[in-house]
Amino acid sequence: MSHAAVAGHGDHHGHDAHHGPDPRVLLSRENIYLPEGAGKGVSTILLGVGAVCIALTVAGAVVHGPKHALASYLVGVMAVMAMSLGAMFFVMSQHLINAGWSVTIRRQAENIMSLLPFAVALLIPYLIAQLLLPDDMKLIQWMRSDMKGDYLLQKKAPYLNEPFFVIRSLLYIGVWLYLCQRLWSHSVTQDRTGDRTETVKARRMCTWGMFAFALSVAFASFDWLMSLDFRFFSTMWPVYIFAGCAFSSVALMAIVIAVLRTMGRLTGVVTQEHSHDLGKLMFSFSVFWAYIAFSQYFLIWYSNIPEETAYYLHRREGGWEVLSALLCFGHFVVPFLILMLRKVKQSSLALAGVGLWMLLMHVLDVFWIVRPMVYASAPADTSASGVAVWLDIVAISGIVAIYAGLLIRKVASGVLIPLNDPRQDEALAHKNYV
Amino acid sequence: MNLSLPFTLNDIADYFPFLKRKPGRFVTPSGAEVHAIIAQFATPADVYHAAEKVRDAGYTRWDVHTPFPIHGLEEAMGIKRTILPLIAGSVGLGGAAVGFLLQLFISTDYEIVVQGKPFTAWEPFTPVTFELGILHCAFATLIGMLALNGLPRWHHPIFNSKRFLKSSDDGFFIAIEAADAKFEPNAVKALLESAGGTGIELVES
Repeated sequence: MSHAAVAGHGDHHGHDAHHGPDPRVLLSRENIYLPEGAGKGVSTILLGVGAVCIALTVAGAVVHGPKHALASYLVGVMAVMAMSLGAMFFVMSQHLINAGWSVTIRRQAENIMSLLPFAVALLIPYLIAQLLLPDDMKLIQWMRSDMKGDYLLQKKAPYLNEPFFVIRSLLYIGVWLYLCQRLWSHSVTQDRTGDRTETVKARRMCTWGMFAFALSVAFASFDWLMSLDFRFFSTMWPVYIFAGCAFSSVALMAIVIAVLRTMGRLTGVVTQEHSHDLGKLMFSFSVFWAYIAFSQYFLIWYSNIPEETAYYLHRREGGWEVLSALLCFGHFVVPFLILMLRKVKQSSLALAGVGLWMLLMHVLDVFWIVRPMVYASAPADTSASGVAVWLDIVAISGIVAIYAGLLIRKVASGVLIPLNDPRQDEALAHKNYV
Repeated sequence: MNLSLPFTLNDIADYFPFLKRKPGRFVTPSGAEVHAIIAQFATPADVYHAAEKVRDAGYTRWDVHTPFPIHGLEEAMGIKRTILPLIAGSVGLGGAAVGFLLQLFISTDYEIVVQGKPFTAWEPFTPVTFELGILHCAFATLIGMLALNGLPRWHHPIFNSKRFLKSSDDGFFIAIEAADAKFEPNAVKALLESAGGTGIELVES
């Protein structure tokens, strides 16, 4: 791209990226590192709150039964795992298309991605509990021994059986941790050595990595979420889950960047132009989610097959219809209308506000997917164990708080942008010429 | 055979005053109206800085002509953001509303049982609503863009200048139109000269 050589024009129309300050000033230590010990207090508080909440969740499991507690716990785990997976998708997609503009915000995506092991570590106890707990405490219905005689389950048994489930789960986790580790190490190795071939290596691994990511996320969404109700099936399901991943990760990135900019960091490195593009991604993934969510619902509504419609019927009664309607508006209409405004997209603070709303909606979306499953098999359960909203709040916010605390530590622990990236100049000069 | 009409366009305009072209304020000795004064600049940077000067001098009816896009020129010219998104958005939403109401009206006025679904279910209406919204939005964007640009048109008086043809090759031009309220030939000429313009010439309408 040729910036028709225009030297040092007027400075009364805001900043101009391609002739901004000297890169040596932009990349000075004060601008791209947080001060020593920054965020330590906040993260300690968050981790403490999270630990208390997790303890309360365990107490809730005793009071209301492990099934309810495990469902609430799964909502939290899946919500934060989606953010990390979405961030991994962002990193890989930017490598694949050799994107220049996003280089200076890539490290924040990598930070979010690098919490994937934490999400996996939270998921494993849940999976073990599903395999080992007695029937009436199992959330995954097809694992119950009294379901084994079900005609549909017998048809699906070659896929839905415990040994294969364990192998698959380990495979997804292995693929993700490997991809995550490789992407992270290419990036930080380049920080250290300045070796430009790291960029090429990262791009090359993303060619097959993206396939591995797509397949593993798709089948993980089948196994861990869709198979909660083994009668239900939807080929749109993995895309819906992926839409949530991408949606939540860009929202979280917008929040992290806004916090860093409020702390006086990344001045001139991440400008309103980067916020603008991040806002476009938030907008597009909000629309993408709506498109997928509607398509899935629409096809099931039209074809009217009982195994499929049960999923939506269950979410149209007993109070869930309120949440369904809230998601239509909160997950789609509200971000859609607000993010249409260019001023909002260009302001990192406004974008972070929308991002917080989007994260809340994302958690509610996962809640809407998982939580009705507690009563899916026996609606009469409601009178037996009771609906404990406090248990949901405690379990979800506990996991989110720990996740946030770890993320703060991760962000503060290193440089805030990738160093020595060959596309860095392009990112610093990034501008939307429209 | 005389093919000329028994009346001229000006005769018609007598009955429709808004059709009448306002006579230009400036006329050359030969009697032609002045369209604009143009100046040529050597480099993109020169024309960029000259544009800033013209902007700061307060002119509104003027333009910069270059062989290729120059990034940031619209800021140097002080061009405000277009209202095209508002046109596209409002017409698009209107189109979506039309699409929805169209189906709602038909489905309630002429009820057809399809798979026993409710007549006024919103689900099957959604794709058509969406498509009509997109269609109207696309038309509004294209037609709105053309209208805001004053297109299509047969001819533009600026092509009366032979020198101006270089603007599609290697010339960078600024043209200040006589229709500008601040237009005063000597002042414009002086401004363009001080901004570094060469080959300043007056273009007849």
